[in-house]
Amino acid sequence: MTDRYARQVLHWGSEKQKIIEESSLLIAGVGGLGATVSQLLVRAGIGRLFLVDDGRLDWPDLNRQTLYGENDVGRAKLPLAKERLNQINSATEIVELQGRINESFRAPTAIDGVADCLDNYQSRFALYNGLATGTYFVHGGLDGDHGQLLTLLSGESQAFDTVFAGAVQPQGSIPVTPDNVVIIAGLMVNELFSVLWKTPKLLNRCLVISLADFHISFLDV
Amino acid sequence: MIQIQFFSLIRMLLKQDAAEIPWEAGDTVQSVLEKTQAKIVTPFLHKLLDDQGEPHTGTIIMVNRKNILHLQGLQTPVADKDVLAFFPPGAGG
Repeated sequence: MTDRYARQVLHWGSEKQKIIEESSLLIAGVGGLGATVSQLLVRAGIGRLFLVDDGRLDWPDLNRQTLYGENDVGRAKLPLAKERLNQINSATEIVELQGRINESFRAPTAIDGVADCLDNYQSRFALYNGLATGTYFVHGGLDGDHGQLLTLLSGESQAFDTVFAGAVQPQGSIPVTPDNVVIIAGLMVNELFSVLWKTPKLLNRCLVISLADFHISFLDV
Repeated sequence: MIQIQFFSLIRMLLKQDAAEIPWEAGDTVQSVLEKTQAKIVTPFLHKLLDDQGEPHTGTIIMVNRKNILHLQGLQTPVADKDVLAFFPPGAGG
C-alpha cells in the first residue's frame, strides 16, 4: 500500500506527490477523455475528484471509454465511474455531481482545476463560464487524427467561448478512435499535473497535434 | 510581411504549416486570404468560407491571438507583421 506510488515518486519526487495527494480536480465528462483522465489521476493518487456526467453507457462508447465493459451498457456512467475509480484507488475521494452542464452550472469552489473532457462546445462554454475566478481550465478535444489541448486561467485568460467563437458541433457523430483519445487524455493528465504544481505548460497556448503524421504545433491565444 | 499559420486539417490539406504574404496598405483578412490562396495554389477557401463567403462555422480565424468574430470578421484590418491563424478544432471527446 505504502509503495503504490514508488515508481512515479522516483520520477517527480515526494514534494510533487504530496501536492497531488492534497489536490482536488473537477472532471467534466467521464466518457472518452474523462474515463482515462480520471483513471490516471486516481492511479497517481489525486486527493479528490468531482465528477460530472449525465450519460448512460452505449455500445459505441466501449471502443474508448476505458472504465467500462459490456455488462455496463445501459447503466448511468457517473456511479459506474465512481465504483471503478474506488476499486483502483480507495484513497481518492470521489464526489458525484448529478446533472447536465448548462448555463446554470456553477463549479465547486474547492477545486484546484478543471479537466474539460466534454464532447460538445455548448457544454464547454457553459463549464468555463461557471468557474470561479482564478480556476485553471484544461481543455481537450479531438476529431479523428486531430486533437488539441489548451489551458486557460479563469478571469485572466481570454474566455473559452471568446477563443473558440464560431466553433460549432458538427452534424452527427464525431470519429474517435481508442488510440487517439487515450493519447489526448494522457497529455491532458500531464498538463493537469503541471497545473497542480503551478507550472502549466499550455497556459494561453493551444497544443495542436495531428496523429496522422505526428505533427505538433502551438497556437498562442 | 504578414505571417500566416495553418493548423490541423488545413495544414494537412495545404501540406504546409505557414506562409508569408507581403503586406499592402488596406489589407484585410479577406484580402490576405485571397492572396494566400493565389500564392500557394491549392484551393482552400472553400474549407474556411461558406457559399456566401462568410467564415465557415467550425474554423477559427485569429489575428494576433484574437478571434475575428470579436473583431470585424473578414473585414478586420491587417497590419504589417500581423499573425493570422486558421484552426479547425476537434469537438469530440
